Amino acid sequence: MAQIEQSDKGGKKKKGAQKKMPIHVDFTPMVDMNMLLITFFMLCTTMIKSQTLSIALPSNEKVEQEQKNKTKQSEAITLILDTERDEKGNVVTEMVGDKVYPKHIVYYYEGKPEVADENKDGIIDNPNIKVEYFRGNVAGETQGIRKILHERNEKVLEKVAVLKQDWKAKKITEDQFQEEAKKVRNDSTLTRPVVIIKAGPNASYESLISALDEMQINQISRYQIDNINGTDSALILSYKTLNNIPVE
Amino acid sequence: MGKVKIKRKSTLIDMTAMSDVTVLLLTFFMLTSTFLQKEPATVITPSSVSEKKVPTSNLVTILVSGAEIDKDGARKTDVEGKVFISIAGDVDSTFSSENVRAQVLQEAVRSYNETHKNKIQITPSQVAAFSKINMFGLKLSELPAFLSLEASDQDEIMKHLNDPKVGIPINDNRDLASPNEFQIWMRAIYNVARDMDGQGSQTFFDALQRSGEGIAVKADKDTPYSTIHHVLDNLQTLKFNKFSLMTALTTEDE
Repeated sequence: MAQIEQSDKGGKKKKGAQKKMPIHVDFTPMVDMNMLLITFFMLCTTMIKSQTLSIALPSNEKVEQEQKNKTKQSEAITLILDTERDEKGNVVTEMVGDKVYPKHIVYYYEGKPEVADENKDGIIDNPNIKVEYFRGNVAGETQGIRKILHERNEKVLEKVAVLKQDWKAKKITEDQFQEEAKKVRNDSTLTRPVVIIKAGPNASYESLISALDEMQINQISRYQIDNINGTDSALILSYKTLNNIPVE
Repeated sequence: MGKVKIKRKSTLIDMTAMSDVTVLLLTFFMLTSTFLQKEPATVITPSSVSEKKVPTSNLVTILVSGAEIDKDGARKTDVEGKVFISIAGDVDSTFSSENVRAQVLQEAVRSYNETHKNKIQITPSQVAAFSKINMFGLKLSELPAFLSLEASDQDEIMKHLNDPKVGIPINDNRDLASPNEFQIWMRAIYNVARDMDGQGSQTFFDALQRSGEGIAVKADKDTPYSTIHHVLDNLQTLKFNKFSLMTALTTEDE
């Protein structure tokens, strides 16, 4: 391949003419150099482009405080995130089935927090708090906190699923699908939850992203990130005390 | 029986095909890749299902360093929560990263001198040095001396994350009349973007203010929320209510 045969034209060989050697180019150094360059590019570059998740936070101004929490009691669901850490400060992981999950705990309550404390011991008598974890889907079934949110937003999810089928069957384009899905998500005639996400001081950044992810997966359009307050801390403390969970 | 004569074959291997392949690979790598940007701290971003790509231009990245794990497996939290900022301008040459960074530095120094007693002076050569740095994070009072150093010495300083002068100072301040240094930087970026808006480059200001794509917070997945909250709260105070969080893609089986 790398040699050029020089064919003799004219047929007759002249006497005394030099025998023409095929020209052979050795490509080995070229390959060596290319390999080096490839190695350089492979080590110095990144192929994975990061993704982003857009969020909008409420303004810090006081005026808006009053307008907050005006959502219907029946629609509101508050998630309080926490992450279990060992004494070294590392996130605890646990095996469920064949998957390893970091131990992010989601405390949640619907509507208003229960604050009744009859004997004034600082422990709320009946904290209406429940605990779930981020479990994603197992065998096509929603699990953990996703199941809870899925049930709350069932009407929207059903409609979006129909639209998605249309899109997959090429009845509508992707843009149309996105637009229609957005309309469904914001359709006020359907019962939709309002999710308030609060993260405790120990909660890892990953758990916050997981919570925001759940909003996207469950097509929840109304959610907000809020700061944890005294009531929330008291609720969790009470829950832990009543269920004999050690409090650090 | 005649002897079988073993024909001597030349051991020359034809490398042309090999060369072709390597050149192709090389072309592929050169065209698809973007260079790793030098960052003072490496973080593992959490994964998310969001498929939105990070823009490469007109982006302000706020990096929050994570804890380092020492030999015993314990989290060393003294290096956690250091804040760094990286500014990527437009691909357009007038509003290139270098240009934007230089303007931001001058604006930040000006606003620092307005609110602090210890004024800092900055020379044009220091500004030029600053515009070449991808990601910075240092006390403003230390910055001029730092910028006069050689690049290798700068790296040496940035390596020591537990050094108190490394990282942009940030606190819970909500009073913009006496901004902390993080707020000074972010406001400087905002002001520069706004001024550019009038000069014909709308995209940067647009990305910052209107769509929220211009600010990306990058943090380690195990960093506690109390640390991240500092940054988020400061952004809220600065009225950057819309911004994005950097994640890595994961797929969710349905």
